[in-house]
Amino acid sequence: MTPAWLLESEAGAFPVGCGGRRRRGSALEKTLDGLAKVVRRAIASDETATRQGLLQSLDARAKLLGMVALLVAVGLVRHIPVLVGLYLLTLVLAVASRIGLWGFAKRVWLFVPIFAAVIVAPAMFSFVTPGEIVLPLGHWFGHEVGLTRQGLTSAGLVVCRVATSISLVVLLALTTPWPRLLSALRALFVPRLLVLVLGMAYRYIFVLLDSVSEMVTARKARTVAVKRNGDGARAVAGFSGGALFGKAHSLSEEIHQAMLARGFRGEMRVLERSRLRAADGIWLVACLVLAVLVVGGDRALGL
Amino acid sequence: MHIPDGYLSPATCAVTGAAMVPVIGAACARVKRVVKDRHAPLLALGAAYSFLVMMFNIPIPDGTTAHAVGAVLIAVLLGPWAAVVCVSVALAIQALFFGDGGVLALGANALNMAFVMPFVGYGVYRLLTRNTSLTSRRRALAAGIGGYVGLNVAALCAAIEFGLQPTLFHSANGTPLYAPFHLAQTIPAMALAHLTIAGAAELILTAGVVAYLQRANLPLLRINHPGVVDTDQELAPARGRPALRWALIGIATMIVLSPLGLLAPGGAYGEDAPVDLNLHKYGLSAIPSGLQHYNGFWKHTLLPDYGFTSGEHASLAYVLSAVLGALVVGAAIFLLIGVVRAVARRRPDVQTG
Repeated sequence: MTPAWLLESEAGAFPVGCGGRRRRGSALEKTLDGLAKVVRRAIASDETATRQGLLQSLDARAKLLGMVALLVAVGLVRHIPVLVGLYLLTLVLAVASRIGLWGFAKRVWLFVPIFAAVIVAPAMFSFVTPGEIVLPLGHWFGHEVGLTRQGLTSAGLVVCRVATSISLVVLLALTTPWPRLLSALRALFVPRLLVLVLGMAYRYIFVLLDSVSEMVTARKARTVAVKRNGDGARAVAGFSGGALFGKAHSLSEEIHQAMLARGFRGEMRVLERSRLRAADGIWLVACLVLAVLVVGGDRALGL
Repeated sequence: MHIPDGYLSPATCAVTGAAMVPVIGAACARVKRVVKDRHAPLLALGAAYSFLVMMFNIPIPDGTTAHAVGAVLIAVLLGPWAAVVCVSVALAIQALFFGDGGVLALGANALNMAFVMPFVGYGVYRLLTRNTSLTSRRRALAAGIGGYVGLNVAALCAAIEFGLQPTLFHSANGTPLYAPFHLAQTIPAMALAHLTIAGAAELILTAGVVAYLQRANLPLLRINHPGVVDTDQELAPARGRPALRWALIGIATMIVLSPLGLLAPGGAYGEDAPVDLNLHKYGLSAIPSGLQHYNGFWKHTLLPDYGFTSGEHASLAYVLSAVLGALVVGAAIFLLIGVVRAVARRRPDVQTG
């Protein structure tokens, strides 16, 4: 146990530690944050994939096909209320799969739909999407300018569609262990080589991530003063990229030898063979029927 | 450049996906044949590498971020077909696991970044590195330029995919159903970000890594460059006249591009026919008599205004004019060169004799 006096913070009699001002390289810091986020997400999805929930209990093949059917339906829908309904459905699925709603919504909305909203925002104005002006903003060289009904609808459609699509994909990622997803891809006629490379690449992203963060830390540790010189930064990008590729290549040689030592002869074998159960069939049929109904209903609302 | 689901219509996704199926199939077959059974770990590490390169985001002033793709770098190091597999795998992991780029839009993303980019970039690289050694400075620069061109062509493809959406898919009252921007807006927007920051990042990365490997890890460069000598000293003396070859390449490019003139709107400044002049604008009441007189001075043209006299088949006549003009100018120049040579050959005789 840590003694209490060690945990107490106490004002030092003289300044301890680094005397200089620490400079934060913002782009690099952000990237490192991003790398840490990748690892956190991967660990989080490993954890949620083992919970006892609706989607976790389904076969990966059925889940993948069902999700693709729903994604196509989301792509074909042309009314915002229908898309909102489909989005609510993803929330229901998340709850049924014991995924925390707040974390789920945060993961879905935090990046891509907000980004999409920023991108499509100019489309609301009449100079990008001409049409019926619902909110006039004045005149520009004799033309009336404002937000158009068509522009607003279009921007809303894109943001809702992006959010619903991402929700479906995140649900799939959060409830399916990566090896299962890979064997599902293999069952769905993705080339063997591609599946093998996918599986290995996913694993070695984390190994290379470690290498990168070690290289960055080592460089920071060696840096006494910051050179304000663009050439230096460019050279570092080249060196680090080259050194990383060298590391990756020697690692791949070692992996290849290790695979040969374990009897690899160019074929990938999967240990577990899962059978499709009735529940998987029901799920798949339900997804297909829902997709057809949603698209049919959407068309019935008018084009 | 990662297109999320929802920006492209399912029809566009289906078309681009269908286009990628044979490419991926061919890439798998080619890579298997070239690198045998050691392909899997090498490609996997290549894919992981590309994934990491795409994670290094550079903030752009407009609030978004740009990143390099590394497709041309992998094409230079492992070959363009390996780059197809590596970048496709990296994109698939990003789409399935991190929601970066859509699952339905995977075909479109792969078409831009895993097919168009490595092949265009590698083509540029090969064109610029003919007859160079493995350690020549030109090779690193060529890789960088290949990366820059490849990334920008890929961005152009993405811009075209976006920009076609409102034209092809809109509702009865004109509401765009997918990405709402037209080609006139998407192409400049994508070009601005990629010609400047993202292109520069790709150039620095690709050229920097190749330059580093030239100094520090030459065996890695030899993987995809069998039979290329190491230093400039070992290079066989170049055959032919490179200056002439480059001049001919330039001229051929211009001839191939000449039909672009058909697309140009309006006329050239100061080349209007007298009847088309806006006399009112210049405060004139009639065409000046001198202009009227000398304008009709020469009427013995074969293809007036680059067209047939009858005015039919304007495009065909334009192309014919280009070919004919190029031939006549070429013949005139060769004649001139012949005369100059003949004179130059006689000159020493005059001096000595």
